[in-house]
Amino acid sequence: MKNIVAFLLAGGMGSRLNVLAWMRAKPAVPFGGIYRIIDFTLSNVMHSAISHVGILTQYRPHSLMSHIVSGEAWDFIGRSRGAKVLPPSTGINDSDWYLGTADAVAQNLDYPRQCGAEQVLVLSGDHIYHMDYQPMLAFHRERDADITIAMMHVPWSETRHFGVAKTDADGRIVLWQEKPEKAESNLASMGVYIFETSYLEKVLGQRDKHDFGHDVVPHACESGRVYAYPFDGYWADVGTLRAFWQSNMDILKSDSGLELARWCVRTNVEEAGLIGDRPPAFFSGSAAVSNSLISYGCRIEGSVVNSVLSPGVRVERGASVRDSVIMHDVRIERDANLFEVIADKRSRFGTGSIIGSGECGAANIRYPDHVSTGLTVVGKGALVPPGITLQRNTIIEPWVNEESYRDFAPQAGGYLARA
Amino acid sequence: MKQIIAMILAGGRVDELSVLTLYRPKAAVPFGGLYRVIDFPLSNLMHAGIENAGILSQYRSVSLINHIGSGTAWDMVGSQRGISILPPMQGTRRSDWYKGTADAVYQNMEYIESLDPEYVLILSGDHIYQMDYLRLLRFHQRVEADVTIAFVRVPGKGSERFGQGVIEEGSDREGGRLLRYVEKPSQSISPWASMTIYLFNRPALDFIMDEKMTPPSTEHFGRDIFPVLLEEKKVFGYRFEGSWAYTRTIDEYWEANMALLSEQPHIDPAAWGVRTNLDNERIRDRAPTIFHPDAHVRRSLIHSGCTIHGSVDNSILFPGCRIETGAVVENSILMYNTRVGEGAKVNGVIADVEAVAGAHSHVGWGESRGPNIEYPDLLRSGLTVVGRNTRIPPRYRIGRNSIIYPNKFENDFPEEQLDHGRTLK
Repeated sequence: MKNIVAFLLAGGMGSRLNVLAWMRAKPAVPFGGIYRIIDFTLSNVMHSAISHVGILTQYRPHSLMSHIVSGEAWDFIGRSRGAKVLPPSTGINDSDWYLGTADAVAQNLDYPRQCGAEQVLVLSGDHIYHMDYQPMLAFHRERDADITIAMMHVPWSETRHFGVAKTDADGRIVLWQEKPEKAESNLASMGVYIFETSYLEKVLGQRDKHDFGHDVVPHACESGRVYAYPFDGYWADVGTLRAFWQSNMDILKSDSGLELARWCVRTNVEEAGLIGDRPPAFFSGSAAVSNSLISYGCRIEGSVVNSVLSPGVRVERGASVRDSVIMHDVRIERDANLFEVIADKRSRFGTGSIIGSGECGAANIRYPDHVSTGLTVVGKGALVPPGITLQRNTIIEPWVNEESYRDFAPQAGGYLARA
Repeated sequence: MKQIIAMILAGGRVDELSVLTLYRPKAAVPFGGLYRVIDFPLSNLMHAGIENAGILSQYRSVSLINHIGSGTAWDMVGSQRGISILPPMQGTRRSDWYKGTADAVYQNMEYIESLDPEYVLILSGDHIYQMDYLRLLRFHQRVEADVTIAFVRVPGKGSERFGQGVIEEGSDREGGRLLRYVEKPSQSISPWASMTIYLFNRPALDFIMDEKMTPPSTEHFGRDIFPVLLEEKKVFGYRFEGSWAYTRTIDEYWEANMALLSEQPHIDPAAWGVRTNLDNERIRDRAPTIFHPDAHVRRSLIHSGCTIHGSVDNSILFPGCRIETGAVVENSILMYNTRVGEGAKVNGVIADVEAVAGAHSHVGWGESRGPNIEYPDLLRSGLTVVGRNTRIPPRYRIGRNSIIYPNKFENDFPEEQLDHGRTLK
């Protein structure tokens, strides 16, 4: 498909993912064992036979760039295909950091112009879902719309986090509310937009509109033809630690609608040091595994229940992992006990350590908005020394070492910074 | 490294592997839950920095061609690097099927001449081992050999299946002058068995090809060339001390795989840095394996894309296997996309790709009661081999030491059950 290009907004800091997004952009956060969050959207673009995609980055793009490389993993190579990483740039006319979603697109309108694209598909790089964009494009063209927005019904309690709309019988949006206190509809935007390129050029020409949801769409609903395209499959915004954990757990629920194998999600398995040719997972005679996703390269000698394990995780004899998301090359030593833990890459849990102990208790002392439901989050490369007990809602910063624990008194909602 | 190239002998079918090599050469047989046998020599080459390899392939090459792809998996792409599949060809001269190891090289001298290396390393594509070929090269250079042959110690029974060499005992622990060489002797002459790893100086190889090749009487290096070459050239034997496994028979194949399940395996593909082509069998695009609430897994290797509801014990599962609820898999090797139906029992089975054990079927049932009737030498230890894409009917029973050929469906099976030691063709 040459007359449409996709823009993937992958610049967000993802601050609510806390330590997981300190070193990497939110779309590059590992998900579902072998994937990164952005793989879901990139795979959707690939399966929808859209041959040009521009990835708009800004915050810590290195993980993302080494992940995408040429786009080969998603078949974006060939003379008339391509995946381009588009970072902010300085120039004579446009030189600035991206000020928002619409601004990032405005600064890169050359890309659809070069491709001769009549429509621009704008996507978010931090959602977990499976969608064919072609029927939406057909819907958009049939209605001669300026903008079409993919929308789904969400629980009324969630509407304040979304742009919501009321539509007429044909799907045309008659009322738009951005993150309303009192919503008049629970039909919510998934952050998937199709724009007429000419319309975008017109409204973004002045560069005074920075955000699609806040600035562009409300304005367009009054003066243009804006339609809602209905979607009713699995969709999750994994922008919070709780939602990130829950969506990982959804992989393990047969009725959640999140089906990795059926969705044919692709990832770059050749990314340096990530997966390569790791051997099959090894299960020893003492292994006990139930309701879990276990990637290749793992070595399981202990017990793993309701958990998602990325490649290279080692669970030693007597250790127990329950309801947890464990990323690449984490080592869980003998008799360690993990419950409701998110462990970033290469963290290490010493012999006999107990993580996620006790009742849910107080929210995290430093980030009460990020961690309050009982999860324990351990940053990249951090150490949990042997015998230590961590209460729930604790956050351990990346690269914390033995020394950092000198004055650490475990408590619910604890926070440990690197010494 | 430009001064050395490799020629990999990957042509053979090897009857002893029965239905596993009906559709592929031995070198392309899947191994260890992820790999193919040829990945081992190819990875050894990569780690040695040997950047050009020709693969001599003639039997059912498609599987091998798919697997090698562009050579990217082993970093053998680039303007100065490459893997070339060298099939038999017709031409104005030197055109025929390959009749043996020496003949295959003879017919591809143009390839060697075009790369013009100082050394040619000839390897077999069907051994499982890790070896530093540069160490072999340094030995070869140090002793100023014309030809060096690598040997591994295979004492006792079975060693007469190999070429055997008597290596001069001297001060050099790594090897010595090769005093005698006999291909597959009727009576063992030495514990040192040839690994089919031959390192030639170019002049020595050119000499053999120009002077010693008198078809049809000269076909094999081991049988026809080496015994006479000992007199005329400096031929050395190199003693390999590392880990090595040979998978010529079904039993050896099964044992070499099962060795991976020990706590300290002597065959360790991950530690050896063995690479495979992740494009083959769509390995790269498969989702991770999901173990459902009713799964039980012990002492096993399981790769991606599997769905596990039942029980898996002491087994190796390649990508894409599906084990349904109540199914029990024990002591088995299940290749790509094997399916074991609800309540089925599979014990001591090697199942080739896409095989299906129907619901409540029992494969490898009962005790072993004597070898396979038609192929007593191939199968006698109680294993059962199921060819690719064969579908064993629901509730069907198959005894031990049986062989089921590929592409057998419900109507091909005799009524009620397949007894011990039977072969279904």
